Amino acid sequence: MSLVDRTQIKRALVALGAIALLYGIAAEIGRWALPHRIWMDVHYIENVELLPPYRSLGEEMAFLLESWILPSSIAVSTGRVLCGFVLGSAIGILIGLATGRALRLEYLAEPWLMLLRFTPALALLPLYVIWFGYGEASKILLIATNVAVVTLLGAHQGVRAVPQVYLDAATSLGASPRLAFWKVVLPAALPQIFTSLRIALGLAWVTIVVAELIDAKMPSLGYLLTLAGAYPRVPTMLIGIGTIGALVLACDLFALAVYAKATRWMRRTG
Amino acid sequence: MATQRFLLGLASLVGLLVAYTWVSNRLSQPEVIPPTQAIAEAFVDLIAGPRQQPAADQPVHMGHHAHSSDHVEVLLQQGVTLQASLAITTARVLFGLVVGAPIGILLGLLMGLSRRVNDYAHPLYVLVRSIPPLALITYIMLWLGHREPHRLIPIVYAVATTMVIPTYHGLRDVASTYVVAGRSLGAKGWLLIQKVLLPAASPAVLTGLRYAVAIAWMTAVGSEMLMAENGMGNLIVGGGMWASRLQTRSDPAVVIVGILALAIAGWVMDVGARVLTIRLTRWAR
Repeated sequence: MSLVDRTQIKRALVALGAIALLYGIAAEIGRWALPHRIWMDVHYIENVELLPPYRSLGEEMAFLLESWILPSSIAVSTGRVLCGFVLGSAIGILIGLATGRALRLEYLAEPWLMLLRFTPALALLPLYVIWFGYGEASKILLIATNVAVVTLLGAHQGVRAVPQVYLDAATSLGASPRLAFWKVVLPAALPQIFTSLRIALGLAWVTIVVAELIDAKMPSLGYLLTLAGAYPRVPTMLIGIGTIGALVLACDLFALAVYAKATRWMRRTG
Repeated sequence: MATQRFLLGLASLVGLLVAYTWVSNRLSQPEVIPPTQAIAEAFVDLIAGPRQQPAADQPVHMGHHAHSSDHVEVLLQQGVTLQASLAITTARVLFGLVVGAPIGILLGLLMGLSRRVNDYAHPLYVLVRSIPPLALITYIMLWLGHREPHRLIPIVYAVATTMVIPTYHGLRDVASTYVVAGRSLGAKGWLLIQKVLLPAASPAVLTGLRYAVAIAWMTAVGSEMLMAENGMGNLIVGGGMWASRLQTRSDPAVVIVGILALAIAGWVMDVGARVLTIRLTRWAR
């Protein structure tokens, strides 16, 4: 594991700076080169800045922050993602560990897992609305389902991938199955579980964007995007997209850090 | 073992199906928990498509066909069938894979092959990857209007961003031992890339492809639910436009039929990807 060196940081900054500069130039050119009236199937929409310059973005950002629209949206959406994530990963990991350990249970669960695994989670949204109503429950459960499927597979495969040698060694040293599970199986399955958690966290954010279109109420990031699209208010739209991206990135970095910490014991040398 | 697996799987399928049928009939709330026969009926109706208008001289059967909801009726009036919707969504998914995968693989190859490219491109890639494709959909619509490219771009975007990392890691992690061996045998430049690096990275790339297939289905259905007037996403939410369509109450029977069809289609495509994987990585075993 090589640390990020100085050249790498410099090059990253150069790349980001170049993109930022290019966007600024494109936005200035776009101000007179791009159309401000757009034909939208049935009507024109006026005063559109397809590439809003930094000035507009800054003003919009100030407005969204001052009016507490953005902070409260972030809080609400993040709350939903985290609730769904915790619920889904708890259920998924438990079932995955169980099916990974017990062959019969795996056979029983297999057909349903196949079905769930290839179901695009967003397709469940209308069903959840019917079952759980328009409120919080259907959004959180949709995220939880999505997360549960991914983490279940991760935990299951993680347990299955534990080499038999480890288990034999533990047994020959006198470990009870229970002890072997806690001390051998679980730690060995951990990297897989963490990888699946990281993927699931990303998926949870994908889900929320669509899930928040039902019972669409402010504050929520998904609805902020839709609302901005309906007016349309491009700076808001871009800030919304950027905010979601930043949150996904933050979650991912956090997951990576946790992963690195939790699997430090198994770091390969050299 | 194999028979036990099959029997238990079958028992679980049949058992839950019977239990569901019993519960759903017992509850008799077809608009919430549709009974199994209602699901089967919706399935048959959606396959058969719009019924022929009865000829004028024939007596019209009044109340011949009573659906628990308007959802099926609306879809049939619009001429929507299950197979046509599935074909449209499959076409969108395939387009996303065919266009997006090469872009992602190329980017991953460049980043994996050149340290310099990686240093510059990786931070940008991480930013781009972090944006959920469906969040872009309203913005893309402003640029391209309410037309087909607007539904396809999120899928292409999702596939491309998914393919970069497996390709990159395939080159960086998996291939390194092969590279040492290849170098010591005197291979360099294009020969090394062509004969050593690309084959060595291919298992990782193909694993990534299987993941990309799932992502593509999810994105396609999501973008259809929001923006398209055809395809499986539209079938599930039952017409309407944009966000407002999620306010309409769909018939759970139709949604369940749609989900089952999507799951089977996704599974078929995964099997295809797996066969491809086995074919192309035969050397590795």
